[in-house]
Amino acid sequence: MSTVQQETFDIIAKQAKIELDTITPESTLKDLGIASLDAIEVIFDLEEHFDINLPNEDTDMENGTVGLLVEAIERQLAQKNAQG
Amino acid sequence: MRRIVITGMGGICALGHDVPTIWKGMTEGRSGIGPISRIEPGQLRGGGIAAEIKDFDPTVHFDESRLALLDPISQYALVAAREAIAQSGLRFDGERAARTAVVVGVGVAGEETREGLYRKLYAEKVGRFHPLGIVRIMTNAPASQISMVHGITGPTFAVASACASSNHAISQAALMIRAGMVDAAVVGGAEACITLGLMRAWEAMRVLAPDTCRPFSSGRRGLVLGEGAGMLVLETLASAQARGAEILCELAGVGMSADAGDIAAPSDGGAAAAMGMALRDAGLAPEEIGYINAHGTGTVANDSTETRAIHQVFGTHARQLAISSTKPMHGHVLGGGGALELLAAIGTIRHGVVPPTLNYLGPDPACDLDYVPNEARETKVDAALSNSFAFGGLNAVVAIRRAP
Repeated sequence: MSTVQQETFDIIAKQAKIELDTITPESTLKDLGIASLDAIEVIFDLEEHFDINLPNEDTDMENGTVGLLVEAIERQLAQKNAQG
Repeated sequence: MRRIVITGMGGICALGHDVPTIWKGMTEGRSGIGPISRIEPGQLRGGGIAAEIKDFDPTVHFDESRLALLDPISQYALVAAREAIAQSGLRFDGERAARTAVVVGVGVAGEETREGLYRKLYAEKVGRFHPLGIVRIMTNAPASQISMVHGITGPTFAVASACASSNHAISQAALMIRAGMVDAAVVGGAEACITLGLMRAWEAMRVLAPDTCRPFSSGRRGLVLGEGAGMLVLETLASAQARGAEILCELAGVGMSADAGDIAAPSDGGAAAAMGMALRDAGLAPEEIGYINAHGTGTVANDSTETRAIHQVFGTHARQLAISSTKPMHGHVLGGGGALELLAAIGTIRHGVVPPTLNYLGPDPACDLDYVPNEARETKVDAALSNSFAFGGLNAVVAIRRAP
């Protein structure tokens, strides 16, 4: 598991108050019982933690999986590093 | 029960500075949405679009001493109130002054003034505050200014329920008239919310569309904020008839409810409860309604939830309804939204034209009703609903009917 994935799972588990091992890359936030403002808060915590901006199209609360979220974060981190 | 009619209306929004211009824009299907002029590009994360009021020069409308007291929210409220009162022909002399109420819905109040002062304090480290900050910012400023300018001395206050504020204000005034406490009211709502701080806060909620507002459409991506005010003059049918006033339509009923659920996610049950109450209060059967001006924000959640609620309330008649959201034209005006949207519903009854839902790309399976896509439609409507559903789970619906 990549560090980004590990940290993402940790943040989701903490914010949603769920066990870490219930989260898989295939889970959607909805599957994990994280809806509405809770989901938006998770995204906010991830942005704060990684110091990135996640565009709305990368944060589909209904159907987007945690795996896709991790990919989006990695993309934003790569962009940030490229910009130095 | 005392019957209530509407004898005056006023408005200002991205479509224009008076009701005739706004109504023309609505029937032509014009959108007031565009790039935000007063916030520098790059300061926002999203699309940087809103439905701003254009070419508005407050010095044309107010003298210097009055203007010093007015945040844009009060300027808009006063412009709309003056138009509505002038159309009604009401004069507030003698007993009439104390027998008239002013109730104004406000979502966030004098934001431009508030942000201006805080920017000085926190960013520019300027220690001296302008002494008129409080009287410009306060939520009751628009209502107070209307009462002062027009000499109205009856019950006067603000109502705050975010995006449902206007409809709650109209409801409150209607109930005071029915109770016999007053005979007339100047009611509506206002908002001037296109400021950097508020835009950033809305962006953070992830509900702002980056492209445009396309309610009930496939590919809709969120709401677009707007600004302005809508005002109406309500009075008893007896009063309007005694004065020989032109009656624009009847305010037939009001319905209000709270979801008591999520602070942000909408509920079909709460929305349906408010629509059902408005119909019962008006004594209207669902089949008598021809048009609904929907809340229709353009968010994925609102539009599908509102559609389910309409199905619940109207059953098979839901498919006979013309439904449209005028938010792609004037934006989401928060506290002023309901009143501006009631202008659309009144126009529909009076002129037999339903304003369209602009920017409609195609059907979404979760939104399966007739939303009058993209082009206005001529059709006779005798009764209509105007829906407003707010963050905080607060719902308010107004029912109107052709003038008696």
